[in-house]
Amino acid sequence: MDNSTDDYKIQSFDLDTQMLLKTALKDPSSVNLEKVSSIIMDQSLKDQVFSKEAGRICYTIVQAEAKQSNGNVFRRNLLNRLQQEFKDREETRRRSLQEWVCYVTFICNIFDYLKVNNMPMVALVHPVFDCLIRLAQPDALMNEEEVDCLVLQLHRIGEQLEKVNNQRMDELFFLLRDGFLLQEGLTSMARLLLLEILEFRAGGWMLSSTAHKYYYSEIAD
Amino acid sequence: MSDWTRSRQREAHNSEHKKSHGMSRWSQCRKRGVDGSLRADKEADGSDGGNGVHSDGHSDNRHASFTTPESTGPVSRCGRRDDWGSQVDDDEMRRDVQRDMHRYRRRILGTEGTQRERKASSGSSGSCDSRDGENMETDESVLLRRQKQINYGKNTLAYDRYVKEVPKHMRQPGVHPKTPNKFRKYSRRSWDQQIKLWKVKLHAWDPPTADSQDKGLDNIDELGLDDVMDIELDFPTLSDSESAPASLTTRNHSLEDEDCMGTPVKVQKTDTTTEPEIA
Repeated sequence: MDNSTDDYKIQSFDLDTQMLLKTALKDPSSVNLEKVSSIIMDQSLKDQVFSKEAGRICYTIVQAEAKQSNGNVFRRNLLNRLQQEFKDREETRRRSLQEWVCYVTFICNIFDYLKVNNMPMVALVHPVFDCLIRLAQPDALMNEEEVDCLVLQLHRIGEQLEKVNNQRMDELFFLLRDGFLLQEGLTSMARLLLLEILEFRAGGWMLSSTAHKYYYSEIAD
Repeated sequence: MSDWTRSRQREAHNSEHKKSHGMSRWSQCRKRGVDGSLRADKEADGSDGGNGVHSDGHSDNRHASFTTPESTGPVSRCGRRDDWGSQVDDDEMRRDVQRDMHRYRRRILGTEGTQRERKASSGSSGSCDSRDGENMETDESVLLRRQKQINYGKNTLAYDRYVKEVPKHMRQPGVHPKTPNKFRKYSRRSWDQQIKLWKVKLHAWDPPTADSQDKGLDNIDELGLDDVMDIELDFPTLSDSESAPASLTTRNHSLEDEDCMGTPVKVQKTDTTTEPEIA
């Protein structure tokens, strides 16, 4: 993981911050990791591109810190900040759909990247489900932005999530089927996305090649 | 668990619960009759996650294994467990301890197999003393509490320096600090005393000034494993039939801490008292 820092998509930060992040990656104990965690969190809430990949940089910092000092200051601060935002999620959603979507993207990305002894972090399982189930509510399904986010997260971490709690995954998919079948006013794009994810899970978190052709050639048009 | 009925009620009241929009209206009315049986088994789990407090819902599970209120210093800072950071820390430690336990158990069985003829592990329990797998400390809450104390001691500059300055093969029992073996049965008092003595000894490696930040960081990630090995390697020595005297005599070499002698003696006592119960 010693590639150039381009991989971490930190170009959008100002130069000082980039320096701070670079140092955090190499020599985590020399920087204020609490500050680093909140910079990453703040940026994730603003920047959708960053929020999709922020887990990588977090993973690297966590590894570096553990190796260097056996510490977990960064992870602890990151998770606690994540939790704080989680508590305010309805408020966030009301205030800014974009920020809400970024939040969900980020928490899912963290869930995907940060593991404890190669297992998902138990503490995040229910919160992640809560977020996704929120996205599957009728009012959220009306926003393509939210549907898009939901579907993306399920593509990425659906299988892992189902392994740790398939009942909640069922709960989520009941909502998705209902939304797909019964909800009025859904855009055809939203329906398409929902149908695809339904097929995706039904196929064991894979699309058959014909399904793939169907969905992706249609969208390309 | 009548989560099913509860969610029905919630639906009916369209209640103030956040979770009231956990199920859509449609799924409520539609699927009730159709595949009720399928649902029934979902309710069990739905109830722990689906309802009410999210993060607290499952941290409850954890609490059961974390009931260590008596602890004094180190543990107290892990007292607040409803934050995700601590939950994950606890989770990590629990998994580490479980992993160590598997290794340790394997090691015990291996040692006993070579050192004496064992037909079956159950048969040996009478003749075997504290090294027997069944006399191993397996209570997770105890192990976690101990692990926290150990981590506390290891999370010091003195420990880093010690590990760096005294390679493993140079360490002498009784002379050098040795991490207490968390898998052996000890009384609470005995264990705490061992920890205390261990930490006192570690203080000998306290940095002379505050400038020794540039410790050999590369070694550090090996410590975890190293330590397990420490325990494991230590094991065969102790498993001669007269282990207690043996360990006592080794400790006797150390002049500096005669207090230490108290500990193994106690250990032996604990062991002998527990033996009859098992046999």
